[in-house]
Amino acid sequence: MKDFLNIYTDPVYSFTFVCIAFFFMIKYVEVIATLKFGIGLMIGTLVMFVLCFMDPVFTKNFYITNDNVPIIYLVFLIAWTTWYALYKGIRNDKRMEEGLPPLEATPENREKVWAWPNLVYTELFAIILGTVFLIGWAVFFKAPLEEPANPTWAPNPAKAPWYFLGLQEMLVYFDPWLAGVLLPGLIVVGLIAIPYIDMNPKGNGYYTFKQRKFAIVTYLFCWLVLWNFLIIIGTVFRGPNWSFYGPFEVWDAHKVVAANNVNISEMLWINTLGVKLPSNIFIREIAGILLTLGYMVLLPVFLTKKIFNFKGAVGKVFNGGFLGKYLKSLGWARYSILIFLVLMSLTLPIKMYLRWLINLKYIVFMPEFEFNI
Amino acid sequence: MAKDSFAQKVAKTQVWKSIFRHGPPDNARNRAAVIAGNVFLHLHPIKLKKSGVQLGYTWCMGGLTFFVFLALAVTGILLMFYYRPTAEYAYNDVIALREHVPLGIMRELHRWGAHAMVITVWLHMFRVFMTGSYKPPREFNWGVGVILLVLTLLLSFTGYLLPWDQLAIWAITVGSNMAKATPLLGHGGPGAMLAKIGDFVMVSDKNDVRFQLLGGRFVGEAALLRFYILHCVFIPVVVSVLIAVHFWRVRKDGGISAPL
Amino acid sequence: MSKRTTINRREFFSFLSVGWITFAAAAGGMASLIFRYLYPNVVFEPAMDFVAGRPDDFDDGVDERWKNVFGVWIYKNEGKLVALSNICTHLGCVPTWLPAERKFKCPCHGSGYYANGINFEGPAPRPLERYKVNLDASGQVIVDKTKIFRYEKGEWTHPDSFIVV
Repeated sequence: MKDFLNIYTDPVYSFTFVCIAFFFMIKYVEVIATLKFGIGLMIGTLVMFVLCFMDPVFTKNFYITNDNVPIIYLVFLIAWTTWYALYKGIRNDKRMEEGLPPLEATPENREKVWAWPNLVYTELFAIILGTVFLIGWAVFFKAPLEEPANPTWAPNPAKAPWYFLGLQEMLVYFDPWLAGVLLPGLIVVGLIAIPYIDMNPKGNGYYTFKQRKFAIVTYLFCWLVLWNFLIIIGTVFRGPNWSFYGPFEVWDAHKVVAANNVNISEMLWINTLGVKLPSNIFIREIAGILLTLGYMVLLPVFLTKKIFNFKGAVGKVFNGGFLGKYLKSLGWARYSILIFLVLMSLTLPIKMYLRWLINLKYIVFMPEFEFNI
Repeated sequence: MAKDSFAQKVAKTQVWKSIFRHGPPDNARNRAAVIAGNVFLHLHPIKLKKSGVQLGYTWCMGGLTFFVFLALAVTGILLMFYYRPTAEYAYNDVIALREHVPLGIMRELHRWGAHAMVITVWLHMFRVFMTGSYKPPREFNWGVGVILLVLTLLLSFTGYLLPWDQLAIWAITVGSNMAKATPLLGHGGPGAMLAKIGDFVMVSDKNDVRFQLLGGRFVGEAALLRFYILHCVFIPVVVSVLIAVHFWRVRKDGGISAPL
Repeated sequence: MSKRTTINRREFFSFLSVGWITFAAAAGGMASLIFRYLYPNVVFEPAMDFVAGRPDDFDDGVDERWKNVFGVWIYKNEGKLVALSNICTHLGCVPTWLPAERKFKCPCHGSGYYANGINFEGPAPRPLERYKVNLDASGQVIVDKTKIFRYEKGEWTHPDSFIVV
């Protein structure tokens, strides 16, 4: 079992597996959003952690820095909050199908109550519990402190704090100007833009799933898969030299990982055409430039307008225009920002798979301008 | 007439009455007065919808974030009494905080509080999203919240350098080298190579954004001092102001969200 | 009755715009002064050049003796001696030399370089940089870290970037 996990937690498999699991979570959301599933999920997470920490190698790798401790809370809290939000959402959806208002809108809950004592005492409780929790945590776990700073020698692996490990994992696939500047910047801009793009008037102030399916699925995918799962990969599945290590695998700094990555230009000119790389960099990188332009310009057009006229199942995917329905409700400005943000966030999984499947290094490679995509 | 109990006697003294201008909050008038008349409590509305006080709805994550922020401010100030931000002393001071300073868990409280704040901020945002609470009229406050989230991460990031250990210096080296890759503004980013006149390079490692951030070309003593000031003064002040705006707008935008 | 001094609508707006432009210029000027203030004129950094020893002190291959002090690997191969920077071209971590696999491997994001500094795996966009090396009068190798030679710019053929031994 451990050997199996050591092999199949490799991001190639585990990322795929998580994506598939996410798909089924959305498809069978009504099964997920039951009390039984929630209890099962919590017990399952607990059992998983207990089993993991019974393994000495996992424990050793995990506690390489105590900064990883919050990951345990994070996994629990994310599992629980995701389930709980879906549970409450589906429960409200069912009520609304029966013509009842969502639970938050029942006359009883619309009633106004005094802030004192209803709110103030809750806050007091939260403060006391928070203080007890923090002090307990501080007593049982030492804050990590490594050797004094030494600018000539880097520890191996050199990991950022856990909340940045998603970004650090992104840096493996993208150049720093993309992974460290542009994409984080777009995450911030995209988050701020959410209320100005989401024109759906429903679901304001109560839990729901069906009334805001597109918004919730998009957000959950970015939040669960692209952000938190990458953090877990970075924390648990990355060892010395930032190579992949199974969760129960001993960290051996001399593990040989073949990773000879090639650029699209090399694939085109050397491997396919069998000639030397052209000296003009724009001709050299023509394939990558065209692909990028196609992705950023032609794909949005394809997603918006019906272009082809295939019949049957093929047509559903390849005729194009399946996002066109949002154009009308959102208007040009909002729609193009939405498409841009969606395409940019999809570049991450796309580049990850290209790296894993065909060892692609760069789509456009212009070290002359430090411009690598 | 029954004799006054001790508590009742205290409540009748001039001192007590000068501080609390109303009786115990057990009737409507006093419950309104206690909230409206107290500078800290008047953060709350006097009355609010029942759904807004239910833990099942709010998860209390925003409130916990604010609590942890206050705890971090207190522990942070206490840490400053023993910590000197220089390459010579910083590491030893941090060891002393554990070995020689009474209590010995102040840094632990601060460190774990910082981690806890990141988690509570994330979950607060998740809750706000799942209840659609960013929708009109709360669009602007969502934006303020996103900026507060970024500042929370920046606070963690700047604080990471202060122990001046290996973890610190390499995390900041990697982080600040991302600034180097900023298009046009960093000397290692796209476009920087095009910005030159003859042999004169306009964006170099001596004048780009990373140099400004670190006060030098690599993570050294100047960077330590800069990050110390950013961590202890600049970002906390900005965060405090934005928290005030955030809370103010929660009230002005209609309180904790509820079905329209 | 005294004559009232009045300004008409157009004059009012021109006064207003002059006022606003002056205010914006003053605010912008002060902001740029603060911006400049944050760039120190003098920085205190370690020495950028050092004497590395005689060329025959080094065996063929990668030599790590100056790595920890000055951040330089001396690499000798096929009659050439070069000084390789130990700063990963990805995000500035320090790679480790793995003698068994004959490669440099960066602990931060897994970039790999051959012994000559050419990158071949991981996210590094370009080879390790080389520093200027030359021989002084007594035949000692001087490494000057202020001058950098980059492979992708074709600078490794520059006579200052290596010593023939």
